Amino acid sequence: MGNIIGNIIVAVILVAIVVAAVAKIIVEKKKGAKCIGCPYGKGSEGGYGCCCSLHNDTEVN
Amino acid sequence: MKIALAGNPNSGKTTLFNAITGRIERVGNWPGVTIEKKEGPVKKNLAGGKTNIVVVDLPGTYSMSPFTQEEDITRSFIKYEKPDVIINIVDATNLSRSLFFTTQLLELGIPVIVALNKSDLNRKKGTVINVQALSERLKCPVIETIATSGRNNGLKELISTALKIRGTKQEAPFVGKVANSNDKSEIEAVDRQRFEFVKSVVSEVEIKKHDDNRLSRQDAADRIIAHRWLGIPIFAVVMWGVFSISQAYLGPFLADIFVGWIDAFHAWVEGILGEGVSPVLRSILLDGIIGGVGAVVGFLPLIMVLFFLLALLEDCGYMARVAVVMDRFLKKVGLSGKSIIPIIIGTGCAVPGVMATRTIKNDRQRRTTAMLTPFMPCGAKLPVIALFSGVFFNDSPWVGTLMYFVAVALIIAGALIIVRITGERNAKTYFIMELPEYRFPSLKRAAISMLSRGKAFIIRAGTIILLCNVVVNLMQSFDWSLHVVEEGAENTSILASIASPFAVLLIPLGFGAWQLAAAAITGFIAKENVVGTLAVVYSITNFIDTEEFELVGGATNVAGVMGLTSVAALAYLMFNLFTTPCFAAIGAMRAEMENKKWFWGGIAFQLCIGYTVAFITYQFGTLFTTGAFGTAFLPGLAVVIIMMSVIAYFAGKGEQKAAVKATLRA
Amino acid sequence: MNGTVSLKTIMPTKKRMGRYDGGTVNLTNAQANREYIIKDIKTDDLELKGFLFTLGCYEGEKVTLLSVLGDNYIITIKDAKYSIDRNLAEAILVSRSF
Repeated sequence: MGNIIGNIIVAVILVAIVVAAVAKIIVEKKKGAKCIGCPYGKGSEGGYGCCCSLHNDTEVN
Repeated sequence: MKIALAGNPNSGKTTLFNAITGRIERVGNWPGVTIEKKEGPVKKNLAGGKTNIVVVDLPGTYSMSPFTQEEDITRSFIKYEKPDVIINIVDATNLSRSLFFTTQLLELGIPVIVALNKSDLNRKKGTVINVQALSERLKCPVIETIATSGRNNGLKELISTALKIRGTKQEAPFVGKVANSNDKSEIEAVDRQRFEFVKSVVSEVEIKKHDDNRLSRQDAADRIIAHRWLGIPIFAVVMWGVFSISQAYLGPFLADIFVGWIDAFHAWVEGILGEGVSPVLRSILLDGIIGGVGAVVGFLPLIMVLFFLLALLEDCGYMARVAVVMDRFLKKVGLSGKSIIPIIIGTGCAVPGVMATRTIKNDRQRRTTAMLTPFMPCGAKLPVIALFSGVFFNDSPWVGTLMYFVAVALIIAGALIIVRITGERNAKTYFIMELPEYRFPSLKRAAISMLSRGKAFIIRAGTIILLCNVVVNLMQSFDWSLHVVEEGAENTSILASIASPFAVLLIPLGFGAWQLAAAAITGFIAKENVVGTLAVVYSITNFIDTEEFELVGGATNVAGVMGLTSVAALAYLMFNLFTTPCFAAIGAMRAEMENKKWFWGGIAFQLCIGYTVAFITYQFGTLFTTGAFGTAFLPGLAVVIIMMSVIAYFAGKGEQKAAVKATLRA
Repeated sequence: MNGTVSLKTIMPTKKRMGRYDGGTVNLTNAQANREYIIKDIKTDDLELKGFLFTLGCYEGEKVTLLSVLGDNYIITIKDAKYSIDRNLAEAILVSRSF
């Protein structure tokens, strides 16, 4: 009998972990995250400095 | 109440935004990273009891006439969403350029406060700005701020002044009246007067002490660091240093301790479960969740060290120089000068990297960059690199360094092929990039960057990686008739039967085991899964095992379980890094390419590249180490030749198209 | 200094092409560490011109070439340092300031 109770407890814990993970993903998606937990962008501010790059494409074939 | 933060790029807007709101927005100043505006409430201790004060951080711009997409966001927001107060962040070290935009803001009628940022740098340089006089000339309050400093930074005054002047009407010190807004020459004439006005203001309020020595020291450093040829070995040495600290010295030391805790936790849970629990549940919890996630999380200390060092490199201004060195090669293969930006952002994560391609106007260059950016080793690929260099190469730092260089080489080679396929060459581009001054990197900023990236890593491990590991574990535990797989009959599991057909294709690459194929497949969901799945399928709880390393005196243990030679392991690592990226990055690619043909072509191209690179690495590596080609050389060669012929066919068609274009023009 | 010397020797034709009357040259022919006055931005692209304008890069303003690093030209305009490519450097016409 102890086995059954033990199994149920473990199963409940497993389901809880999985549900928590799914819930977290849904919450993040709702927030608009394209990639859950991605290290977004790089670098502290001003690290690269500005990059006011521009480019202009004109074909000079 | 809404306060807008506006100013030139690199004036410190985001730093100020973070200081005011207490957020950790880490988006750098590359255009296109800040594609959208960010909002946040003012911190309580700054708001002085008031609530509902919202600060909006806007992309940097040099003027109210938009040049790029992200500049347009700033203009539209200020014009149409009417913030209550504008805080104009002005780089105190560059008044003469910054005040041009200030005078434009002052014309809008919305109350403006000038935050004279980086005033500490000015003090160091010996430049003195008469704040009183500046305020009188501009007819708006001017407050000195040091956004990077924790105390005496002027932020409290800034917010209280904002509350005070709210609702007032801003008087403009310079009115640029343009009768006909379509008349370019008239606009130019007005803007010229505007610059003259700025010059007169600056000459009145600023006393500069020229410190040419310091600047010329920086130029001398640039001449070596950003040298056209020397720059490359210097970059190699720097990356080698980064990997050697994170991979060979400090990283493993910390990881050993950390992994000890995970192992102890594993043992503790195992003890609690006891014998009575069903083996399936037991396996999901111990092997799938704790083992699989633990294996990934075990690399956390190592990767945090790496993040920290990379953040230091960015902060001191070195990365901008790398961009200058690399830019040349990218231009030669028909990419835009701007392509370097997504690629460098891609070293953090391919998703924002691909999104940053949005600022490239030319369709072909944008799509090509979006296709090639995911080759860069991103944060999720680092544990995979760390695993293989640890297990098979004795934590040698050259493995990680090599991966960055192979990535750059593949991007260049890839661009070279794609430009031929599209038959579009000779696009003339102009490129200008502001070079930040070198500065001593801030340990605090690097630590913050490291912590937030570490947090992101844990979130990924606890969500996507965890779920994948559970699914992999279930698929491994059951066969198709949903019976538990017996020990010794693992090949009958659902996972094995799905992965085996793919494994056949991988035999010529040196890793034809279904377990390795399964790990590569789950890697498409998230690249850390390669580590997690390997841990699950081989029941390895961690890859940085303290005791076992000491006993065996090498990593032969884990390596032995996987049954790979060093060369095959390197091929497997390269295959995972340089094939199609994770689904999130694929989604971003689809969004930015806006073209089905390009999108599917891109994915096929990435698969081909991954396969070919792994094939060459394994077969020729084996040839060099053993004197003979590896298994299934000929079938693999046939596959590679077929792929290459398809690419060559399209390239030939593209060349024809280019030739036709040329004759039409002639 | 080295940068300019090698440019002269490697690309004599470029140098002649870049020369204008009255000592006006484009930035690729400028000498390092010397202040120049911008004479013209030679491009049909009004957007580019407008953008350079907002940086303070237009006729009558000062520009200094700091160094030539391969195909990149490091210049300062007002108090900021920029890296520009050859195409752009060729489009910026300057003359010596005395």
